[in-house]
Amino acid sequence: MWLILCSSSDPSGLWAYEGLRRLGVAPLELILAESLAYGSLWEHRLDSGGTHLKIVLPDRRTLCSSRIRGAVNRLLAPAPGITERAAVSDKEYAQAELQAFYLSWIKGLPGVVINRPTPIGLCGSWYHPSEWAYRASHSGLPIAPYRHSAHDAPEKCYRPLVPQGATMLNVIVFRGEVFGAQLPEPTLSACAKLADASETEMLGMGLYADENGEWTFANATPCPDLSVGGVPLLQRLAKALTQGEPA
Amino acid sequence: MILVCGIPSESPLRMVTSRLEEVGVPFLMFNQREFANCEIWFEVSHKEVNGELRIGERTYKLQDFTAIYPRMMDDRFLPELSQEPPDSALRKYCRSFHDTLVRWMEIASALVINRCAPMASNSSKPYQAQLIREQGFFVPETLITNDPELVREFRARRGRIIYKSISAVRSIVQELNDEDEQRLERIRWCPTQFQAFVEGTNLRVHTIGDEAFAAAVRSDATDYRYAARQSGEPAELRDVRLSSELTEKCLRLSRVLGLEFAGIDLKVTPDDEVFCFEVNPCPAFSYYEANTSQPISAAVARRLESAATRYLTTQV
Repeated sequence: MWLILCSSSDPSGLWAYEGLRRLGVAPLELILAESLAYGSLWEHRLDSGGTHLKIVLPDRRTLCSSRIRGAVNRLLAPAPGITERAAVSDKEYAQAELQAFYLSWIKGLPGVVINRPTPIGLCGSWYHPSEWAYRASHSGLPIAPYRHSAHDAPEKCYRPLVPQGATMLNVIVFRGEVFGAQLPEPTLSACAKLADASETEMLGMGLYADENGEWTFANATPCPDLSVGGVPLLQRLAKALTQGEPA
Repeated sequence: MILVCGIPSESPLRMVTSRLEEVGVPFLMFNQREFANCEIWFEVSHKEVNGELRIGERTYKLQDFTAIYPRMMDDRFLPELSQEPPDSALRKYCRSFHDTLVRWMEIASALVINRCAPMASNSSKPYQAQLIREQGFFVPETLITNDPELVREFRARRGRIIYKSISAVRSIVQELNDEDEQRLERIRWCPTQFQAFVEGTNLRVHTIGDEAFAAAVRSDATDYRYAARQSGEPAELRDVRLSSELTEKCLRLSRVLGLEFAGIDLKVTPDDEVFCFEVNPCPAFSYYEANTSQPISAAVARRLESAATRYLTTQV
């Protein structure tokens, strides 16, 4: 069985589920974050020999690691559910415990998992914009200067790096291949290098043309809009999942 | 220049700054409690990170810092904020200042002991256990569940089991007893972590750069950090020498986790199996140094100094 792990408010995840199903990936289960939040049984074991997972969902479907062959993981955080019922004084602790728990069981899933979690993101590394800019620059992508000051409001630090009015293009790098918008070769290589340097199997990127027409880094995400890659990306994902290609 | 961040009187920080002073290595102290009189900004452009840190009247170029030892408390709980309403300007500036400082440290070219991203593996103990296992250590049999019956079965099969937090939120490790079993229905609302109790000798290994310091801990308590409370007797610590194989394994584990400085919790069983429980990325080593005389703070100071020396050599 293969899993699509996403939220009910993630149209891209739902699109990928339908697309992969049409491409014949079966059995394919759509597992929504909201459903996981109310799982009636959780059993996650690990020891020196391996890792095991069993979840019984509210609709009585059972997920067992012995039957899971891979997953497309787009979970951003445990859905509120348990934590909503926690006492105010326990909420922060309950959230930390659930986040830690999810990090472990997703890490322990067998087969091909795109993307595996990291300690700074359940579906891959969520770097701060300053770190994305730094990494993009070191990967060979031009960047607009990024400035961060103690006098900036926190939300200002997450502002897009794109000048107003600039046209954005989006691409998705999956295992070194670039899907989506057509870009010149040096930019394609730099995008692939950024994904590799970020140790992220599937990384979405936004770029814009600066005043000289040079493709410039705008943003990156481990949870991109998969429709950017269209059917070619879905076909590549299906192949990776069903053929169990190691990363 | 070396930058040290935190509360100057905090024991591990005080020990490291004392060592730096003893060897005459200059350093700059950022005292978190004086954040209101400090400013910081940085800019990323063309593969470079430049900026400035102002402390009081003096301003320093961020790119001049060659090594950083951040050991900061949660800035939300600084005494200077205790009377501040949740949305006060001072509280917002404090958060913003610390956020900027930490964001810069994540990408600074300086040696940082330690950066936040690698430290985050400790935010989930079972996640980190899977990374530890990949480095050839035994890890204790662990069950995380919301099903009381599975816990009862686990306890019946393993005899002694403990429970503790899954996350980095500090908890006192406790052995599950009959009284606790009566309360197990409470875990239905949130999966909880249980672990087989491992018999053996506790070892705490501090790794810093290429150096390792091991301390054996003798205690009857389930959690020796709270030995006096749990068993009525404080834990006894002594300096021990590890085999070169185990030393290398510990150093490799820290490197793989991306940690310059780490506190590794091991237990060696009577069968000589080495279990690893966790790797603490921000070790409060002062307790171990005070009880074993291991020169851990000197090693941290040496590591900070080595980055400064290397930088000077490069400049020449």
